[in-house]
Amino acid sequence: MTITVLGISGSPHRHGNTETLLDSFLDGARAAGASVEKVVLVDLDYTPCRGCNACHKTGECIVKDEAPALYDRILAADCVAIASPIYSMGITAQLKGFIDRAQYLWARKFILKTLDFSPEHIKKHRGVFISTAGQDLAHVFDNAFPAISALFHGTGFDYSDNIVANNMDRYNGIKNHPTALKEAYMKGRQIVQELETIKNT
Amino acid sequence: MPVKILAFAGSPRRFGNSETLLDWMLASMAEDPDVTIEKVPITEANINPCRGCNACEKLNKCIQRDGMDIWHDKIVEADCIVLSSPIFCMGLCSQVKALVDRAQVFRSRKYVLKLPIVPPERKGKRLGVFLATAGQTWPHVFDAAVPSVKCFYHVIDIKDADISYLMVNGVDEKGAIEHHPTARSDAEKLGKMVIGEEKKRLGAGIQA
Repeated sequence: MTITVLGISGSPHRHGNTETLLDSFLDGARAAGASVEKVVLVDLDYTPCRGCNACHKTGECIVKDEAPALYDRILAADCVAIASPIYSMGITAQLKGFIDRAQYLWARKFILKTLDFSPEHIKKHRGVFISTAGQDLAHVFDNAFPAISALFHGTGFDYSDNIVANNMDRYNGIKNHPTALKEAYMKGRQIVQELETIKNT
Repeated sequence: MPVKILAFAGSPRRFGNSETLLDWMLASMAEDPDVTIEKVPITEANINPCRGCNACEKLNKCIQRDGMDIWHDKIVEADCIVLSSPIFCMGLCSQVKALVDRAQVFRSRKYVLKLPIVPPERKGKRLGVFLATAGQTWPHVFDAAVPSVKCFYHVIDIKDADISYLMVNGVDEKGAIEHHPTARSDAEKLGKMVIGEEKKRLGAGIQA
């Protein structure tokens, strides 16, 4: 069975450093035989979570837009690569706005108990975070991880890898980074191969 | 000269826990007659996310025309800027993150264009307050939000030592904070402390 990989770009800046790094990961996945799709959040019609907690009772979001359909696609994928640049020491407001909308899945899992992911399911589903930052601080990505963790835990993925590259301001862009694009490509290929092995055994 | 407070109520849920915490603090500040308070519910503030275009590095202003046109000037004019946010998915709610990211224009002004944020006579006199609530009881639930909050204050020329925090975990459903043993008195104490400090700074003339 073909492995499906969904890339989600959370950058408002089209074809910038982060999306380019995501593309490299997806190219690697494609080279390993995966079926690959990419969604760019700025092209998606959705609004942030309103915090109304209506989903705590129904397990459904009352906001009718394109966010729940993208969550359906996430739930159906074998691998999800979610990408965001670091703005002000965190993920972009656009990606945070989308992640916050997963509250209805959280409600299904923890309040209504209608959603559960078995350890076997999680083993077969891999989540990857892809990011770039202008800053050269080594810890510049640290505060992005908890929200990404929340997303992957809520959707049944094994959050297995971070592909991150800092210091973009000095390199003058990802294309001049000595290793990042190659690393992303190799990771894309490797994860698809690993998922194939898991699925076929 | 009155002390000018600008307070962003950052939650998309009106009159919930983080806004109640904010209201308690603002009410204690308002007891002082020399204080003017402007409270801005972020759901009515018309703040779009940053587009990451970096045009502000050259233009010294944002190319987007929205509510930030007003908030930008008010952020510069205020003596104390208060930010309240619930924690969603281990971070600031995205509405608050949008405000923080839109402060990029101040970052460009300060670090790229090397221009002042406030006139020299007001430098070092401004204070920041961050209020947050979280449903989770984990003590580390606020950790990933704080660095973004610091970024916001740094770029508007409020340094670490001048930011106060009141973060209350374990309050989830609307109204839960009413039953918290210390949140209300902590918020009121913080409000008094901030006004006292601000008046001292504004009355003291030049300060480092």
